[in-house]
Amino acid sequence: MGKKLLSLTLLLVLVLAGCVQTKSEVESEGKGTDTKGGPEEKVKIEVLGMGSGEEDLNIVRDQLIKNGFDVKLNIQPDYGTFKAQQEAGNYDLALSSWTTVTGNPDYAVRALFKSDGANSLVDDEKVDELIDQASTETAEDYTNTYKQLEQRLVAEKAYIAPLYNSFKAQGVNKKVLNPDTVRLAKSRAIAWETIDFNDAAKRTADPLVTQQAIGDLTSLDPIKGNDGSINTLNTNMYVRLVNLTDDDKVVPDGSLSYNYAMAEGNSDYYFLLRNDINFAAVSDGKAVDTGERVGAEDVVFSLNRAKDKDSVPDHRTYSLHEHIKNAEIVTDLSELEKATVSGGDETVQAALENGLDTKLSALVDDKTKADNSQGSYQVVKVTTTEPFPQVLNYLAHQSAGIVSEKQVKSINTYDVATFDVDKDIPYGDQRTVTEGAGYNNQLYASGPYILVKKNDYQADFVKNPAYRAGSEFEPKISAVTVRFIEDSDSALSALRNGEIHLFNGVPETKYDLVEKDDNLLLQKSDSNAVTYLQFNTAGRTVSDSENLRKAILFSINQDEFLNYYHGNKKKAYSTLSPLVDTGNELIADQNQVNEFLEAYRKE
Amino acid sequence: MRQVKSMKDTIWKRHSLAVSTEYTQANFTWVLSLVLTVIFLWNSISFKTGDVHPVVFGLFCVWAVTTVFQVCITRKMKKDLLQTGVIQPGTRHLGYVQLVGLLAGNIFAGAFAFNLVNAKKSVEYTFAVYTLLTQLAVLAISSVNLFKPYVSDTFLPSMGTLLLIGLFYLVVLILIVLHVHEYEAPRWMTWVALLLLATAVSGNLFALLLGWSLLMKTRSSDHSRMLKWNVTWEKITRNSTAMLGMFFILLMLAISITSRFTFDYALAVENNYSAILQPPSAAYPFGTDNFGRDVFSRIVFGARISLLVGLAATIVPGVIGGFLGAIAGYYSNHVDNWIMRLLDILYSIPGILLAIAIIAAFGANTVNLIIALSVGAIPTYARTMRANVLMVSNYDFVDSAKALGESDFAILFKQVVPNSLAPMIVKSTLTIGGAVIATSSLSYLGLGVEPHIPEWGNILKVGSSYLETNSYLAIFPGLAIILLVLSFNFLGDGLRDALDPKLD
Repeated sequence: MGKKLLSLTLLLVLVLAGCVQTKSEVESEGKGTDTKGGPEEKVKIEVLGMGSGEEDLNIVRDQLIKNGFDVKLNIQPDYGTFKAQQEAGNYDLALSSWTTVTGNPDYAVRALFKSDGANSLVDDEKVDELIDQASTETAEDYTNTYKQLEQRLVAEKAYIAPLYNSFKAQGVNKKVLNPDTVRLAKSRAIAWETIDFNDAAKRTADPLVTQQAIGDLTSLDPIKGNDGSINTLNTNMYVRLVNLTDDDKVVPDGSLSYNYAMAEGNSDYYFLLRNDINFAAVSDGKAVDTGERVGAEDVVFSLNRAKDKDSVPDHRTYSLHEHIKNAEIVTDLSELEKATVSGGDETVQAALENGLDTKLSALVDDKTKADNSQGSYQVVKVTTTEPFPQVLNYLAHQSAGIVSEKQVKSINTYDVATFDVDKDIPYGDQRTVTEGAGYNNQLYASGPYILVKKNDYQADFVKNPAYRAGSEFEPKISAVTVRFIEDSDSALSALRNGEIHLFNGVPETKYDLVEKDDNLLLQKSDSNAVTYLQFNTAGRTVSDSENLRKAILFSINQDEFLNYYHGNKKKAYSTLSPLVDTGNELIADQNQVNEFLEAYRKE
Repeated sequence: MRQVKSMKDTIWKRHSLAVSTEYTQANFTWVLSLVLTVIFLWNSISFKTGDVHPVVFGLFCVWAVTTVFQVCITRKMKKDLLQTGVIQPGTRHLGYVQLVGLLAGNIFAGAFAFNLVNAKKSVEYTFAVYTLLTQLAVLAISSVNLFKPYVSDTFLPSMGTLLLIGLFYLVVLILIVLHVHEYEAPRWMTWVALLLLATAVSGNLFALLLGWSLLMKTRSSDHSRMLKWNVTWEKITRNSTAMLGMFFILLMLAISITSRFTFDYALAVENNYSAILQPPSAAYPFGTDNFGRDVFSRIVFGARISLLVGLAATIVPGVIGGFLGAIAGYYSNHVDNWIMRLLDILYSIPGILLAIAIIAAFGANTVNLIIALSVGAIPTYARTMRANVLMVSNYDFVDSAKALGESDFAILFKQVVPNSLAPMIVKSTLTIGGAVIATSSLSYLGLGVEPHIPEWGNILKVGSSYLETNSYLAIFPGLAIILLVLSFNFLGDGLRDALDPKLD
């Protein structure tokens, strides 16, 4: 019996062996002869990222390993530790992302790649030259310049390896909110004032509940921060000279200006200010009208401190405004009559008066004296250091928000050079609005809403009673609550169970959940967010070897990213891809990887 | 008088029903069998479309038949026991029929049937049965790879080897039925035993137990030692849940060793974008995850880390804590105070926080994970050991060893410690489950091994974000963790019952 069984078993194994393919058979069929070469030592690459980018890191790891690298992942739990690791230089590749919130290409490259940029690791003369050249050009001309810049950054020098361009997706509770009133813009942060409930009776009774990931607010002084913790909040708390439409056109709608005009020469910009916005302050947990008008003096003060590196300690946005040479109040009406608009015969005055009921009859330099209904207006002129049409995009950014000259000066009494973070409390410090003993809300808001208080879980806003009251831009909903929910899956749950009404940032892999839900509406649009790998440019093997960087660059297969995200991403070549159609594309190529690796080994 | 006798008879028969472990196991088996049958039925029908999944429904049918048959056997056993006080040979022969249930993967029915057909069971018989069952389960799990587009290069030779070993186990089972008795075995069985020990390299530790047991019986004439061995193991093997737990643990161990040759690691770690989030199928029994990796392979390879970290994070503090506890318990108050108060300080830090702190400071990898989980567990082992040593060192044999002039160190580690080990073993098995959970928890929090490495906590983490759309991604790793922890707890309970002298 034993013998029979044994022979039966052997027979079975033989039969199985006939119909089963082994791994090496399959692999040799697919590739023909494998020419991976001898057992050379693998190049070790350390990839740094955050826990939130775990999926991308895994795809990068997988692609690099399949191309013959040895990969070590360094995953940090949050941005702070990630930044610390990056500053310590403990990486070869860092998973980075960039969102061009101003909607203009200059912003997409200046801070990131110019040798003196705030976030730049690149020091390349040719890159600097191209960025400066493109900034003076108009949209028709700069495409080619930016194309060259991209090629320099990626194909020639491999300073970055692009991964993808994301979409923006926003889930709206359509049972509570009127979805037509909820905007989803490509670049700018969401405007709360337009949002309305389905049931208008709830406007004063219920707050609008929305969400953001970061609860530690950098600063509520607009020039002291430019990150996800405050962009939306400051956008809604401070009015600006101009705004961006949902597809990134510069317009005066919902801003402090009636109209603006770019004068011939592209260096002088005029803004005609409105007189129906007052600053709001918080008193006893309620917003009160301070009676102080938002006027040209405040605009000049705000823009001059925005461009001045030394106006405050920790100035984080001066590089955005370095092209502003001067901001001043225009009192001479004849200046507007003489100047003509760029590329046209129309006078600046005519351009500014366009659509106004009462034409300009006088210009005043004191904001309390302006009375638009009687024809007396305030006009601000911004001059740039060189012709720079994209300055308008920067003026639409939250960092160009208008603050009260009087209030800010009365609080920022410290000396900037000897500023002591433990002793001096600057304007907009989050400690002053955090519940508890240190609470002392001194904010003056020029925008539609003002922050009353915050804690670790949420921030409470109420509407500015003196913000264009009676017009279509008057905030519809009286109160806004911003919940701090870090994890996107938790935020999605909160949206689905009705805890929040609005969730900006639905993960790509969860679109179908929102679409299937009867209470929810998924709004999708393009965005300017690009995810890329930043090479370490100092002190590492990848910093010195261009060949090694290129070997890594050509290992990146963007199609696999698109597959992973169910096609809910777009290919990108650099941070410019969503803004300028340069036609560049990164194509993964194993032969190139092998060639560059070989070249690297010979170095 | 006659009435009294018949009453006594009835009481005796009722008693025999109550004490019959086979009857208990029969009940245990049909209940478990029924539960799984219902689960199969539930999964075979799609509630949205009303479609019936043919394969799962087929499984349900076969399981339903074995369950019904099991219920019949159980009722017949009850009748036998109530009428005659013993299970009749006819009933026992039904067990041969029930063995067929193994083909459908009903391991409970199989284990029960093996138990039923043999009226006089030696410990070796039970070991041999479980050795064979484990081998069959390993073969069944590995052969699932046949449905994959390709198998690893070593798949065929290793499957052949495993099959041959399985046949050998079957032969051994038959030989044991024919030749092995309670306290003796023929001399030539030594060779069989040695072969069994050699095959235990494949991870089937039942073969090790069987080989060791046979070796003892063929070589040794120390009757008391064999008695102790037999009694201990009989207590454990009588306990169905403990045996089931032990079976699952050893199966996982065997799988994690043989998977090295029968599974392809690339399927578990390499991304495959053409097979993202596939539902369970023949090629991917547990489906694929968001990167197109085979969840089944990932769970199989994950067993390796869970077991390794779980065992190491128990043995390391067991040895260190045991050593410190022994010293503290045996030597003077002064030493005792120093060691125990220092350990109390360590004890006052929450274990999982300490682990998180260590991982955060030294980075996440397997070795650090073991260290992190071990450090916090040292005090509890030290306390257990110290208490036992305090008790054992008052025994007479310690005094006599002292009188014979043995050194303190020798007395402690030759006399006292070996006699204090039983509670330590029980404690280890009971806490090993906690270590497995801690490993998975840390990975789940992103503090364990790297995310792409198949580890049960990692797999569960991926699954947790697809709970609604692809729930199988979380269910299977979750079940694996639950089953392993439950198994360790069942085995620990069984060991405690068997080793605790107070329960005799």
